[in-house]
Amino acid sequence: MSNITRRRMCAWVLFLCLSLSLFCVVYPIYVIQPFRHQGAQELALALVVARFRPLLTTVSALAAVLALGGYWLVQARKWRRVLPSAGAALVIVLACLARINIYELMFHPDRHPAFTAVRDVKLDGAEKVIAVRIGGEARAYPIRSISYHHVVNDVVDGQAIVATY
Amino acid sequence: MAGLRLTFHLAGINNQNFLMRDEETGTYWQQISGAAISGPLKGRRLTLVYSDELTLAVWKSEQPQGTVLDDVPQYVFGYAKRDWDARMERVPTVIAFPEHGLAGRDVMLGIQAGGASRAFPYNRVVKEKLLKDRVGSEPVLLVVGPDGQSVRAFRDRIPGVNGAPDFYRIGEAPGALLMDEATGSKWNFQGCATAGQAQGKCLEPVAMLKDYWFDWRNYNPGTTVYGVNR
Repeated sequence: MSNITRRRMCAWVLFLCLSLSLFCVVYPIYVIQPFRHQGAQELALALVVARFRPLLTTVSALAAVLALGGYWLVQARKWRRVLPSAGAALVIVLACLARINIYELMFHPDRHPAFTAVRDVKLDGAEKVIAVRIGGEARAYPIRSISYHHVVNDVVDGQAIVATY
Repeated sequence: MAGLRLTFHLAGINNQNFLMRDEETGTYWQQISGAAISGPLKGRRLTLVYSDELTLAVWKSEQPQGTVLDDVPQYVFGYAKRDWDARMERVPTVIAFPEHGLAGRDVMLGIQAGGASRAFPYNRVVKEKLLKDRVGSEPVLLVVGPDGQSVRAFRDRIPGVNGAPDFYRIGEAPGALLMDEATGSKWNFQGCATAGQAQGKCLEPVAMLKDYWFDWRNYNPGTTVYGVNR
C-alpha cells in the first residue's frame, strides 16, 4: 500500500470517527430539547444513541488515535498533521462530553437528601409539599425545591422510593 | 425492580414531561407514568406510591412527627419563587389539545379509576369545595381542605355501609369538614370519621394527579373532563 493510499485511509477513518462521535453527542441533545416537540420514533432513536454513546465514542476515540498515529507515520510534513490532529482531539473531547448529563448540569441533583422534623422547619405554612406516608413515617418534599431537583431518591420506613416532580 | 434497588437521575424531557434514567441498568423512564420506555427494563412500570399535594400547614397539622426535605444551600438560587405558578402559566407548550375550551396550562386534577380517566379543573374544584362524581365505574369524592387549596380524592363509599353516603360540607374545622346522610358521622380532611356511627372508619383514598391539561391529556387520550363531558 502506498503512502498516499495509507494517508487517505487514515484520513477517512478519522473523518468517520468524528462524524460518528458528533452524531452520538449532538443527535440526542438536538432531539431532547425542552421546547421542542419530540416524535415517538426520533425519541426512541435518541435514547438508544444516548445509552450507547459512552461506548461508541470511546471506541471512536481509540480508532481516531490509531488512525492519527498511522497518518503521522506516513505524513512527514508537520503542517499537514495539524488538521487531522485537531480532528482526533475533537473526537476525544466528544468522548468526554458523551459522559456528561447536561440535564443535571441545569438542575443539580440532591445527592444526599437530608430531612428536618416539621416542628423545626422554618418554611411558611402556605408552601406546597408533596407528602407521602409509608408505614410509620411521614415525609414531605417542598415543591419549591423538588421542582428544581426533579428527582429525589429516598428511603421511607425502609422502602426505597423516588420522589419526582 | 428486577431484584435491583434503582437510583434515578434526571435524564431528559419528552414533550415537557421529564425522563429519568436509572444508574443500575441505564433504562429510561417516563416520569408521569413510571413506565420504562427504553433500555433493558423497557415495558416495566414503577409502582405508584400514594401521595398528596398539600400546604405545609395542613400536612403539619396531620403529621406533627413528620420530616421535611431540607434545601440544598448551594442550589437555593434556582428554587421556585412564590409566583412560580403564575410564571409557568406563561411558558409555551410544545403539544396542544385545544378541546373543551381548555388551555394547555390549565391545572387539572386527574384520576384514573374504574377503567377510565377523568380530569377535574382545579379552580372549579376549589370553588365547589366538595364534588361527587364517577370515574368510570368508580364513585369518587373530591374534598377541598380547610386551607382552601389542598385537595384529596376518596372512594365515595363508607366501608361496610351500602349505598351512597351522600356527603355534604359542614364547615372548615379540621376535624369536622364533612357529614354524611347515611350514618350521620362527621369526617375530617383525611377522610376519617371523627364522630358518629362510622367513627374510626376511613374512606379509601383515590390517587389523583395535579397536572397541566396538555400533559394529562397527552397520556390519557380518552380522558373525560368534569363539567364538560361524561
